[in-house]
Amino acid sequence: MTNRIDVHHVTRVEGHGNIVVDIDDGKIKECRFEVIETPRFFEAMLRGRSYLEASHITSRICGICSTGHSTASLRATEKALGVELSEQTRLLRKLTFHGEILDSHILHVYMLVAPDFLGVGSVIPLATSHRDVVLRALRMKKLAGDICAVVTGRHTHPIAMTVGGFTHFPTAADLKDLRDQLLACRADVEATVELCAKLPWPKFERDTEYVSLTKPDEYAFIDGEIITSDGYRFPAENYKEVTNEYLVPHSSAKLTRHKRDSLMVGALARFNNNFDQLHPKAKKAAEKLGIKPKVTNPYLNTAAQVVEIVHCVEDAITIIDQLLTAGINPEKPTPVNLEKCGADGCNGVGVVEVPRGILIHDYWIGQDGKLTGANCIIPTNQNIGNLEADMRTLVPLIMDKPLDAMRLELEMLVRAYDPCISCSVHVMKVEEKTAR
Amino acid sequence: MPREKTLILGIGNPLMGDDGAGIEAARMLAESDLPENVTVLEAGTPGWGLAEWIRGWPSVVIVDAVCMGQKPGEWRRFNESDVRLVAGQGAISLHESDLAGGLALAQALDLLPERLTFYGIEPESTDHGMMLSPSVRATLPGLVKSILNDFAVQAEERVR
Repeated sequence: MTNRIDVHHVTRVEGHGNIVVDIDDGKIKECRFEVIETPRFFEAMLRGRSYLEASHITSRICGICSTGHSTASLRATEKALGVELSEQTRLLRKLTFHGEILDSHILHVYMLVAPDFLGVGSVIPLATSHRDVVLRALRMKKLAGDICAVVTGRHTHPIAMTVGGFTHFPTAADLKDLRDQLLACRADVEATVELCAKLPWPKFERDTEYVSLTKPDEYAFIDGEIITSDGYRFPAENYKEVTNEYLVPHSSAKLTRHKRDSLMVGALARFNNNFDQLHPKAKKAAEKLGIKPKVTNPYLNTAAQVVEIVHCVEDAITIIDQLLTAGINPEKPTPVNLEKCGADGCNGVGVVEVPRGILIHDYWIGQDGKLTGANCIIPTNQNIGNLEADMRTLVPLIMDKPLDAMRLELEMLVRAYDPCISCSVHVMKVEEKTAR
Repeated sequence: MPREKTLILGIGNPLMGDDGAGIEAARMLAESDLPENVTVLEAGTPGWGLAEWIRGWPSVVIVDAVCMGQKPGEWRRFNESDVRLVAGQGAISLHESDLAGGLALAQALDLLPERLTFYGIEPESTDHGMMLSPSVRATLPGLVKSILNDFAVQAEERVR
């Protein structure tokens, strides 16, 4: 019996990816996840542009993670140019970052994953069958966007964040209003946990190397060191020791691996590596969801996102309280001294944990303030090898199921990774030696 | 002044050539003498979030680059009855500016405004780049003027 699953353009993931599984007489002939988006050349676009423009250009890599890209970009520039940040800048950046994590996680949980479990093909029929659920999602998403808009001037593609600080500040009244909305949102967050605690997550286990940032004093989203669940630890600047990007003929995205054949980044990796630093309420939510580290079921990446939703809402409230207590100071951004750069230019690496995992921006800046080189490594790339390894383990377990059921389980696996495929495509050359 | 509170949304990605026409139109409108009850926003690529953005507005005007098979730079004005909202069946993604998907969701949730007006402008090129093509650049002011004119007409109707 020959079974071939060809899911061209998996729906409800970001961008275009194909699942190709070919089974002949009970043996897997092919099993791969193809990324077929065109490369986007952002790193080349950055060359010759001013360091002040870099965060605004790279923000456009992604409409979901624009704050993440801006922050990684700013951190790369600030590290390169030796720019120190005030406590207020750090808090404001963390607050807007939480807004983006919430926005993305809420969309993923409700619009992309929930339809699979609630037995509908997409969010449109869900809006009719479970109107209250979709309205709740939109309500939460709106608040998440409002956090970004209040802090950075826009829902997407922040304009107020700049090298060394901010060019615009929220008023105390804005922050108080956000705080009230966050307090009111707790009921929706609770309902989200309740809903997800009831979802029948597919049973599937495959241990891998979970890679995330870590910080001594908080659940890491911005800056930190890279750690892995296999006990390795690296300063951010040494990211290449972990990512080891490589090419495969069937994907226009680069893959990564460390000591094992593949690695996993994202909410589940953060949950596994930094569980102790989650807000107590988030830990409670994890208990309700029935997960505790180390979780090795990739479908539960979505459950880990729900835990992070709780964490980010609670931490956002704490941050707002800190900002209100200290009072907002409309300070100037830390001045930049390009002479520090030296004749050969300077280099800096910015690392952040965006919704889908570690995002790395690595910049070279010349003394004239123009970028001479850039390297951006996006989480989805880092996960593709792991996703394929999961598929290779999963397929033999579900081979006897009807084709449609098999297809759905594979699609759900891809969606669990919350891949951002169009972001993962990155400058590369592929020369195929043999025609497939 | 228009009859009711109106939200103008400029849609598109300004990094993709003429796809940014809606954004440029929003910028031009923001700089013009807008009636008090009109709000203009650069919405970018709002996807599903569109439903929440337009919620509660009695009137919404959407400006976007649209492939209509016209000459580059030509623009058209549509009412809600002129278009059919079909969510994309292929990659339903938050990334693509799936305007129809966002509006279809708003429709399913019964959040569509009473009055929905579209302005579509035919792009010449939606390749990488931050510049609008000459054809779109040349006709965009006419589109913006037409939107402002709509408000003036509505104001006159109200006086009558």
